[in-house]
Amino acid sequence: MKITGEHLIEAPPEKVWQNILDPRVLEKITPGIKSLEELAPDHYKAVSEIKMGPVKGQFEGEFTIKDKTENKSCKIVLDQKSKIGNALAEINLELIPVSDTQTKVHYTGDARISGMLARMGQRLIGGVVKTLSKQFFEALQKEIEQ
Amino acid sequence: MGKFIGKSIKRKEDVRFLTGKGKYTDDIKLPGMTHAAFVRSPYAHAKINNINTAEALKAEGVVAIFTGQDECGNYGVPCGWQVNFKNGETMREPQQPLLAKGVVRYLGEAVAIVIAETLEQARDAAELVEVDYEELPAVTNPKEAMKEGAPLVHDEWPDNAAFDWCIGNDRAEVEKALENAHHVTELEYVNQRLAPNAIEPRSYIADYNAADDKWTLYTSTQNPHLIRLLLCAFALGIPEHKVRVVSYDVGGGFGSKIFHYTQEALLTWATKQIGRPIKWTADRSEAFLTDAHGRDHVVKAKMGFDKEGKIVALLADEYCAMGAYLSTFAPAIPTYLHGTLFQGLYTTPLIHLDVTAPFTHTVPVDAYRGAGRPEATYLLERLIETGAKEMGMDPAEIRFKNFIPPFDGVNQPGYQTQVALQYDSGNYAPVLKRALEMAGYEDFRKEQEEARKQGKLLGIGISTYIEACGIAPSAVVGALGARAGLYEAGEVRVQPTGKVSIYTGAHAHGQGHETTFAQIVADKLGIALEDVEIIHGDSERSAFGMGTYGSRSLAVGGSAIVKSIEKVLEKGAKIAAHKLEAAVEDLDYADGKWTVKGTDKSVSFGDVALTAYVPHDYPEGLEPGLDFSSFYDPANFTYPFGAHIAIVEVCPDTGKVTLKRFITCDDVGNVINPMIVDGQVHGGVVQGIGQALLEGVVYDENGQMISGSYMDYAMPRADDVPMIETDRTVTPCPHNPLGVKGAGEAGTIGSTPAVVNAVVDALWHLGIRDIPMPLTPARVWEAMNAAKA
Amino acid sequence: MKVTLTVNGKQYSQEVEPRTSLTHFLREMLNLTGTHIGCDTSSCGACTVILDGVAVKSCTVLAVQADGCEVTTIEGLAEGDHLHPIQEAFREHHGLQCGFCTPGMVMTAVDLLQKNPNPTEEEIRHGLEGNFCRCTGYHNIVKSIQHAAEKLNA
Repeated sequence: MKITGEHLIEAPPEKVWQNILDPRVLEKITPGIKSLEELAPDHYKAVSEIKMGPVKGQFEGEFTIKDKTENKSCKIVLDQKSKIGNALAEINLELIPVSDTQTKVHYTGDARISGMLARMGQRLIGGVVKTLSKQFFEALQKEIEQ
Repeated sequence: MGKFIGKSIKRKEDVRFLTGKGKYTDDIKLPGMTHAAFVRSPYAHAKINNINTAEALKAEGVVAIFTGQDECGNYGVPCGWQVNFKNGETMREPQQPLLAKGVVRYLGEAVAIVIAETLEQARDAAELVEVDYEELPAVTNPKEAMKEGAPLVHDEWPDNAAFDWCIGNDRAEVEKALENAHHVTELEYVNQRLAPNAIEPRSYIADYNAADDKWTLYTSTQNPHLIRLLLCAFALGIPEHKVRVVSYDVGGGFGSKIFHYTQEALLTWATKQIGRPIKWTADRSEAFLTDAHGRDHVVKAKMGFDKEGKIVALLADEYCAMGAYLSTFAPAIPTYLHGTLFQGLYTTPLIHLDVTAPFTHTVPVDAYRGAGRPEATYLLERLIETGAKEMGMDPAEIRFKNFIPPFDGVNQPGYQTQVALQYDSGNYAPVLKRALEMAGYEDFRKEQEEARKQGKLLGIGISTYIEACGIAPSAVVGALGARAGLYEAGEVRVQPTGKVSIYTGAHAHGQGHETTFAQIVADKLGIALEDVEIIHGDSERSAFGMGTYGSRSLAVGGSAIVKSIEKVLEKGAKIAAHKLEAAVEDLDYADGKWTVKGTDKSVSFGDVALTAYVPHDYPEGLEPGLDFSSFYDPANFTYPFGAHIAIVEVCPDTGKVTLKRFITCDDVGNVINPMIVDGQVHGGVVQGIGQALLEGVVYDENGQMISGSYMDYAMPRADDVPMIETDRTVTPCPHNPLGVKGAGEAGTIGSTPAVVNAVVDALWHLGIRDIPMPLTPARVWEAMNAAKA
Repeated sequence: MKVTLTVNGKQYSQEVEPRTSLTHFLREMLNLTGTHIGCDTSSCGACTVILDGVAVKSCTVLAVQADGCEVTTIEGLAEGDHLHPIQEAFREHHGLQCGFCTPGMVMTAVDLLQKNPNPTEEEIRHGLEGNFCRCTGYHNIVKSIQHAAEKLNA
């Protein structure tokens, strides 16, 4: 399924970039995340707990940041497994400067989910992704402001 | 009509169901019983690199864990019907393994079984089994599966076809007739995949007893003997006389409980390994993932008409999904139970159907209520209705024009169709006439016109159908590829006191056999209904029978019982003649006694029974006892038919379809219990309405099922449907002793196209010609919006 | 955890796991197998019982939540050999076929007619929304409840 959206952050692209690529920040601001462990630069092991409508599960798997163009764009690859099904996602992030103090973060990607997650959660996934990304970017904004 | 036959006798089985005393498989508890849970594939197609059970084996309460690497991985369940390719090549028949071995081919395919002391422990431990999969591309749509480069379900064959098949007249001849036709109607659609959804999920208990080296399998099946045969002779290779298959009360089947499932064989194998009974009951998610589905045909069809609206030719091409493996009767469904019904009630002189049946990365597809015949009726009735409208003819009128003239099968011969079957008896115009009368067809058209002026969208839809049921003559089905006979067994044991026990190979899971069969026996013997007991569902009690499906129980199973009753009466007459000191020819049998003609000298059935078992004063040379067993193998299928009419209102703002009325006039031959027949029709109709408006199994492009729960799969609810208005005509079956035809599937076969025709009728003036099933508000709304644009 | 419940007039005290559903408690611990399980999403209603006078889907009630409550199951509805008027109406009007959804249907009907002794057809259909039947097409279930209402009001 396709994932697209955008969010306006009150900060210049450099600041956004710096925060998004900081594992300590990510661990703090990513909704549902329980731990994030750096395996290699830009390559992490993540454990998270996500609730999608009637199904809830603990996910474990890898999280990689690729194709980086500093302050401009990158690609996030997620490969998460859980007892209720697996999720594989590739998301392209683009930072578009709007003004000196504003950045539009545009994201677009594709996610594949399987198992019970797909069976019970597919019709809800769009809404869940929206909610989670909103939470993520709001937390990012707060983090930047601190 | 007798004292009981033809009467709406209240059901004998009801009190136990109404007081919670039904005995369904999951209600059974055996001493020392363990519980099983399955580890299932989260992918539609994947390579299994490794299965790690170490952690799970350490979990509390775990008794054993088996995977495809164990001995059970060598066994598989068989297919019971062979349909070869048109070019003579043998049907491609992969083994359906009890547990996946190396590769999983559909979402939910079992990879490991975890057996533990309690169900909770089994489920907890199943979560600890680690499976390393490598996901592979999948294909779920049968037409896509036949495209060049489609992912292969089974690598050993160059494409996904399990077989292809055709029936009817020469294709070129049919095509030529279509070219020359005055008008040709063409439709392309999907007859969507359905989940059967018996409310009782499948449930099995296997119990091996080492003391006598015997197995008992308690199973929620529609045909215990057939399961025993497939299980013993084909799946596991164990001696048949060492296995007892028991199926007490079964909470609905609708086809889905005919088939021999892998879990039955796996549990039977595993119980011997662990030396304890094992129970497994599907939860609803597992039912969606693993019960054989129904339908799933991708169809392109053409019907040609002459100027008067007479059908001149019918041509169809279909892709019919088989799923990842061939389920028990799967190959028969889109072929011999489908193409053979393309004549419908019409005199169409030229018919041709080509079927391609591919494997897909989905759960197997097999018989679901109606099985092939609803799909045939949908095709015919959507085409003729659309054709009528396109030519500006009345949809009722065009059907009357095309009906086969009446024939009773006695004075007139049966009707030879273009598609192999010979109909037994039929009189088609009266059912439609009556249904139109009930619907108030003429007045409705005026009402519709008026409503339209006020912005209301009303529609009426007709469907007429024929079905081949009472399946059927063994020689015929054998010639068509069935690997089993399709007769039925019926045994009558007259007890010394004159009470009667009937053992039938048919199986009731809602049909009320305990009542209808008893009605027949009580009437034929002239005894009280309470004096008759019907026993079914136990392979060690009844003679080998074929079970219940395809609306066959009364026509085939009932006839077997009648045969045994006749033998009882014949022998009884000899005993009675001896007691009355009269000749057999001088006796009459009525009201439960033999009477010497023209006298008041008589002897009762009970007296004769007692004499048969206490043969002190007894005819010379006659064996004691009064038990008879019979097998009945009919001369032909039976051919019930009928007309259904739906009246709908479509909300112009939301696209929601409200079914305002549903009318049926069916002809199921003679009727033993009208109340039960009506009940069968009501339920069947609502299942057909479910397909038209609500239901559909959806796999996404990766083979994930996204309709796998009752929150996502729309079942018909009480407030989705109106009261069903029913009536009947009676055209007896000429070839079975009861003159009955079968009523179990009629409702489902006729109703779906009536509803769709009604919705399209409501929207025809907007330019809408077809809407894909199920006709959800979203789809109807989209169609209306597209028509506006 | 220990729970004490009155089921069909009889008191039971049992140790249960906190996750034990009321359905499981009734079926597996008390052997009252008339209450059925037809789904895992609280949609089908086959498990409906009366809990302190109100119909509930027992699959979504934990045994511990029912501690101290009174439960009536299908087994407790008839008085001896005398069927409850709703059971009788189901028999009389062929309101059941395979019998699997029947206990839930009957218990739902008990609740429905308690709350609304004179329901219209529409109200009955609405009241049965949470119970699936795959056999009857609901026709004779609705009819049974209509007739039971008449009888109970007579």
